[in-house]
Amino acid sequence: MEGIGLKILGALLTTIMAFAVGMTYGGITRKLTARVQNRVGPTIWQNFIDLVKLQSKKTNIYHGVMGHFAPMWIITAAMTVLMFIPVLHPNSTWYSTWFPNLTFHGDLIFLLYMMVFGSLGMALGAGQTGNPNSAIGVTRGLSQMVGFEIPFVLALVALMVQYKTTSIQDIMAIQDQSGVWMMFSNPFSFLAALFASLGMFRYSPFDIVGAPAELASGPVSEFGGKYLGVMMTGGSIFAFIKLTLYVDLFMGGAYSIPELLIKTFALYMVPVFYGWVSPRYRTEQAIRYFWGWPTALGILGVIIAVW
Amino acid sequence: MNISPVHYIALPLLAAFLIPLLSKLHKELARIVPGLVFLYFLVISVVLMQRLETQPMISEVIAGWSAPWGINLVFTPFSGFLVSLMSFIGFLVWVYSYHFKKIDYMPAQKYFILLMMLVTGSIGIVLTGDIFNLFVFLEIVAISAYSLTAFYPGRDGAEAAFKYLLVGSFASALILLAIVILYTQTGTLNMADLAVKMHEVPHYLKVIIFVLFLVGFGIEAEMFPLNGWAPDAYSQAPGPIGAVFAGIVVKGGIYALVRVVYTIFDLSGVGTILIALGLVTMIIAELAALRQDNLKRMLAYSSIGQMGVVLIAFGIGTDTAIFAALFLMLNHALIKSMLFFSASYLLYNSTTKTIKELTGMAKHLPFVSFIFALGAFAIVGLPPFSGFWSKLYFLMAAADAQMVLLIITVLSVSVIEIIYYFRVIGKIYSKDETSELEPKKPTINSVLVMTVLGALIIIIGVYPDLVTDWIHHASDALVNKSNYIQNVLTENLPR
Amino acid sequence: MNTLALIILIFFSGATLAYLSSLISNKLPGWVALLTTMTGTVLFYMSFQNEQALSFSIIGLNLEWALDNYTILFAHIIFGLGILASLYSVQYMQNKSQQGSFYANFLLSIGSMFGIIISKDFISFFIFWEIMTWSSFLIVVWNGIGFRKNGIWYMAMSAIGAYAMLTAIVLINSEIGTYSLQAFFNAVQENAIDNLMLVSILLLIGFAVKAALMPLHIWAPRAYSNTPASYTSVFSGALSKMGVFGMGLVLIRVFRFSGLQDNFDYALVSQFTSHVLAWLGGITAAIATLYALVQKDAKKLLAYSSIAQLGYIVIGLAIGTKLAVMSALFLAIMHAVFKGALFMAVGAVERQVGTTDMTKISGLIRRMPWTFFVTLVSIIALAGVPPLSGFVGKWMLYEALITNGNFFLVVVVFFSSTAAFLYSYRILFGLFLGQEEDDTAHVKEAPATMVIPMVILALFLIVTGTYPGIVFEPIAHGMEYLGFTDVTWNMTVLSNVWGDSVNLQYVSTTIGVAFMLALIFLTFKGRKGTRGVSTKDISTSGEIPLEHENLTFQLDFFKPFERAAAPLYKRSITKIYEDVANGLEALFDFTRKIYTGNGQTYAIYVVAFLVTLLIVVQNML
Repeated sequence: MEGIGLKILGALLTTIMAFAVGMTYGGITRKLTARVQNRVGPTIWQNFIDLVKLQSKKTNIYHGVMGHFAPMWIITAAMTVLMFIPVLHPNSTWYSTWFPNLTFHGDLIFLLYMMVFGSLGMALGAGQTGNPNSAIGVTRGLSQMVGFEIPFVLALVALMVQYKTTSIQDIMAIQDQSGVWMMFSNPFSFLAALFASLGMFRYSPFDIVGAPAELASGPVSEFGGKYLGVMMTGGSIFAFIKLTLYVDLFMGGAYSIPELLIKTFALYMVPVFYGWVSPRYRTEQAIRYFWGWPTALGILGVIIAVW
Repeated sequence: MNISPVHYIALPLLAAFLIPLLSKLHKELARIVPGLVFLYFLVISVVLMQRLETQPMISEVIAGWSAPWGINLVFTPFSGFLVSLMSFIGFLVWVYSYHFKKIDYMPAQKYFILLMMLVTGSIGIVLTGDIFNLFVFLEIVAISAYSLTAFYPGRDGAEAAFKYLLVGSFASALILLAIVILYTQTGTLNMADLAVKMHEVPHYLKVIIFVLFLVGFGIEAEMFPLNGWAPDAYSQAPGPIGAVFAGIVVKGGIYALVRVVYTIFDLSGVGTILIALGLVTMIIAELAALRQDNLKRMLAYSSIGQMGVVLIAFGIGTDTAIFAALFLMLNHALIKSMLFFSASYLLYNSTTKTIKELTGMAKHLPFVSFIFALGAFAIVGLPPFSGFWSKLYFLMAAADAQMVLLIITVLSVSVIEIIYYFRVIGKIYSKDETSELEPKKPTINSVLVMTVLGALIIIIGVYPDLVTDWIHHASDALVNKSNYIQNVLTENLPR
Repeated sequence: MNTLALIILIFFSGATLAYLSSLISNKLPGWVALLTTMTGTVLFYMSFQNEQALSFSIIGLNLEWALDNYTILFAHIIFGLGILASLYSVQYMQNKSQQGSFYANFLLSIGSMFGIIISKDFISFFIFWEIMTWSSFLIVVWNGIGFRKNGIWYMAMSAIGAYAMLTAIVLINSEIGTYSLQAFFNAVQENAIDNLMLVSILLLIGFAVKAALMPLHIWAPRAYSNTPASYTSVFSGALSKMGVFGMGLVLIRVFRFSGLQDNFDYALVSQFTSHVLAWLGGITAAIATLYALVQKDAKKLLAYSSIAQLGYIVIGLAIGTKLAVMSALFLAIMHAVFKGALFMAVGAVERQVGTTDMTKISGLIRRMPWTFFVTLVSIIALAGVPPLSGFVGKWMLYEALITNGNFFLVVVVFFSSTAAFLYSYRILFGLFLGQEEDDTAHVKEAPATMVIPMVILALFLIVTGTYPGIVFEPIAHGMEYLGFTDVTWNMTVLSNVWGDSVNLQYVSTTIGVAFMLALIFLTFKGRKGTRGVSTKDISTSGEIPLEHENLTFQLDFFKPFERAAAPLYKRSITKIYEDVANGLEALFDFTRKIYTGNGQTYAIYVVAFLVTLLIVVQNML
């Protein structure tokens, strides 16, 4: 019984950490962006403040059952993926106590598919609201996903082939043994994945899903109050998950939480930086972008991995 | 009365003579008498086939002269098979067309006499053991066929008949020439005797005779490029005559060809020629059928194509191949006549006879359309209909002979066949628009005929053993040449 | 009497009876069909555990029927789907005319499918195969619309496939002197067949047509979308699996376990063929997915999706490792289930609304909640998202490809699965979400007899998502028949040869717990003040839309994607086929010129022919 209690506690801790880190990173980004644009900008805790505001508001309208389910799907997917992803390196001391969760019961491909679960729920919820902007946003998001998925998958295939495993812990362990991070042993794949991450994080020039100026935030435009709050929470956790996944796969994972924070923050800044200097793409341009150089790099990465 | 193969010839000749007289007594008799003749054909076929169980063949000598000097009729399992088939189809055609020209009986009288002579001539071709008589019967067939082609007054019928006549007279001339050369060389006309004496003929002459026969009979057997007459004749003759052409007349031509090739000549390499000719015939005919917009012409081309396959099968010449060839002939006779029967009703009031006009006919003529569809399914060889088994055996024979390319060609052409048949079915069953043709409800006797044929096709398809023994006997008899010669030459007296 | 023969007989006489009963009343055939499938299914499930065999002879050819584990696997698909489809069909077909011929062919095709899988000789195999072909053809053209487009292509492609198969069959017979399948496998083991590769490839072509593998697929979209939905579920779910059935036999039993693998040439050719096939499967999946997502008609969309899904199955079979074959067979079963359910759901929409054109339908979720539920579950399974069973198949396929070293193929598969999300969303949104229109306000949920079969299928998908072992068991037995030894499986844990695994029980528990927590939180927090709103009650950039403002988004759904992928859409294979066909027809037209209709020409032909023959034959003989 004690074991289970500890596990639940660990799971809670993981979730809270992921949530906190994701929200803070979002806030930092907002601040940084503002400074770059020569604005004062909000505090870096602004996201927490927003969330408290959203949750304290009364939610007046209900858009039917899929609209009701959409935030749940997002948070469910986020929590599930979080449970299966090794937050820290398996050899670290903290890991075995607080973060083992369910990491030994799933592998990379499972995670890939699990991550879609939330987007699907979101898409359905957005669809039921009847707002055409929401649906347009969803179609853009899906199209863009087909775009960045190709370099991303190519990178992952290179990884799996190179290390002859699909388990994330094993990938981390092998990087540890050989002493070389994946991003150095196969830089092309890492680059491909990095390009793909631009699309994944949906900052400019790939913010076509929300596209505040034309779609009024797209899929989420009909959600408010508790719904939007939960979505925000889920989104923050997802941001953390994606970053952790990249760190695990390409940077050999992290032994301690500070190391994790440094590595993830560094990674996170890539799409943010890229976004500062880019205007928005059109959907087809975005897709074409991913099918161009990133894909070529990915293919190169696979070839190197096979050799 | 002692039943003998002579009845096949004597009775209809007598009837043909009597019909004009009898019809003076009662008009209906002009219709009934041919039917009785056909019925009698069926009876003697059954009786004679029964008799073949105990003896290898029945050789009937006419006028007391035994072979090789006298004229004889030979009823082997092979010829018996064809004769029975022809009698059966002939009878069905008669039942089907009983109401033909119900009102004015003069054309009807002509029609029935010519029909009877057509069948009789074909049966004669199969039965005779004498090459000159074969020629004579061929002429009987040809003349009746010309007349039937020109049966309907008008330019088209006459033109078709004239073309047929033109080409047909070539056939007659060539065959006669061949016979003459043969006779000068061997001094005999009896086919069994000829087979024995064939080695006396110098090789180059043998080849010439062979070619003459090939071209002559090839015209009747609708071999390419001698078959230009066929589509015209099929489409201009009265509907049921199409069935007779496809089911009976062509079979006579094929028989003559096969008899000459298999029994009289002992040339090696003939098989290859037959295969080549069959292949070309089949390909050209099926391709021509693909773009055909006239239904009856399409059926005619299809018929030619089928005969091409039969020729190929005879060309391969193994036991399985001959079995397949005979099975193909049987199926073709049954299915193609069924198709012609149903097509006649589908096109009843059409002037142009085009497929276009059939759009949505199924709504008005559900039964006839069903029969046509069944026939199409069967003729392209879909199981479980009878056409499948013959096709299978044909392919088996080709495979055993290691002719992979041949199989592929035949089957590719079959795809074309499927396409054009199914297009017609599609037209008939289409609901996109409806036909402007005024449908004619099928008469009870034609419904009966089509039902019988349809049932046969399904029954043979499900249980082919029903007919295979019969075909096996027939093919054995054809392959076993020495047996034929021996029996014909020794069996002097009529039983 | 032998049960196998009895089942076949029941279906075939049921077909006759169904047709005849339509002469009495148009309502009867549906019930006759239901009764027939029920009897057949019950008979099968009562007796399939026993060893059964039957052999008899017809014109000197020995026909053998028997049950084995591989057969039983496919029989589950046929009967499972068959009985649900015929239950569904009764109400679905309610107001349609000519039910007699529909149900006759319906039963014929189910009976002949069973005939195919129990056939242990090529002759009965081929006969049942052809009966299946033409009975399904008759259903494709049953409504009598667009025959030229739908029917002819189906029949022609089927004929090409069937004749390739027939060629192979007669060649095998000429080599080993028998049509027995067992004898063929034995001969393969002993290397007794000279042109084995030719024969195998011909057989594969035959099966590939039914499995709608590119480039032999062109019949499929039209045929699938033109059949009544109650049959389409069987057509796409079970009938296409007959191609898979045959491919499994050839690719695994012949190629993989032929005993010739030591022979270098043989191994090379067979592996090359397998590779080509795997890539064809991949291309099929990718292209068909691309075409699926631009469709406006829900049925067409599902038709293309079927082709794509079959592509995955073919990949699995062609790769041929234990995991790959397992995934292929698993996907085959799952495809039967979710595509069966999807076609039924779309059929329900068609019956209730009158069209499946997604540009005319919108927002049915409140009107047809059960249908939506079924569609949602099936689509999640189709997309391969956990925790439903589609994921299990996809996972195994990916792992099989990666562990087997098919790196680029796996990317192609990933691409098409990702693109599949697009059409998955398209069909869900197109039919059920979006603006609720006034002209569909009267629509009601489909009758219970239609909903129940769909829901059963959906529940099956949910259960097997966590406990795929239920399906693994028959698959493992079937694979043992194909020649694999010690096929291992676990009730809820998936694992690959590298030892990586996924525990589905943990997955679904986590999802369940997280979902329940979120559900409780979201539902009970401030529940009182919340009111439901219509789809018109939205903020379009802060403006409130007018009552009749058109807010429906259905046209050009994925236009940006189409633009991005424009080069892939440029060349349509169907168009190429049609051009070739038209070209050939025009070319063949020359034959008609031979028959000029001029008597003189014919006479010249005779003379020319005579002369030619004299010259040629003189030299030949």
